[in-house]
Amino acid sequence: MKPQDENKEGIRGMINPRRYGIERVAYLLMRLSGLGLLAYFIGHIYETSSILKGEIGWNEFLELTQTNEGHALLAIVIAMCVFHTVNGIRVMFGHGGVGVGKPARPDYPYDPASQNMKHKMGIYSAIVLAAIATMYGLAVMYGE
Amino acid sequence: MVNKMRESIIMKIHYGTALGAVALVAVHILMRLTQSFTESLEYANVIANYQSLPYAGMLEIILILLSIHGFNGLRVILLELKQGRMYEKAVSYGCVAAMIGLIAYGSRTIIMVNMGVV
Repeated sequence: MKPQDENKEGIRGMINPRRYGIERVAYLLMRLSGLGLLAYFIGHIYETSSILKGEIGWNEFLELTQTNEGHALLAIVIAMCVFHTVNGIRVMFGHGGVGVGKPARPDYPYDPASQNMKHKMGIYSAIVLAAIATMYGLAVMYGE
Repeated sequence: MVNKMRESIIMKIHYGTALGAVALVAVHILMRLTQSFTESLEYANVIANYQSLPYAGMLEIILILLSIHGFNGLRVILLELKQGRMYEKAVSYGCVAAMIGLIAYGSRTIIMVNMGVV
């Protein structure tokens, strides 16, 4: 018997942002930013525990973060944080039925009512706000 | 207990912890902007932050909220990738264990510095 294609693409299907438009890109960015922020959060908890080693221990660890690479990493964290927050609020509204349109008979070309302009604007706003916050963060870190 | 909780309840906790964390993390970041960024990270300033009881309490709440939200998010991603009775149990209990570990480690720093054990 010919094996049935169950369309299981696994992790490759999950990280493929090319199909289904900007919503799919937002889905991927939401997961990547979530994982990135969790990694940063664990690192931040470890980093701040260096204060228990006293002033020398704290300053030694702080020096590692006060470099161009450290600032670049923090800028990426700011971008992930703002995107994750704004897009997360959009997802919460969507799950609560806000801005997803009224239920209607599915007619050709079967455009999903939930994937409308309001939510697309939410996604684009999240990306723009993330970019602005990153620029502001870099200006603060470099003391301008 | 982890596997018996309804997914709808877990998602409400997920969203609740997110909203709480957004508000408190905003305060945490604004505290860094009360002085210049580098100054606010000086040893004496950071110790003073930790030794203020309301601020230390806020850090503890942020730690708990973000740990719950972060590890539940990781659990959701891992459950989207693969399903199965044993796998789901392992992921759920693994995430709860990691969450408890991180809260314990972070709380240790907050409590010790707040009590002046440095």
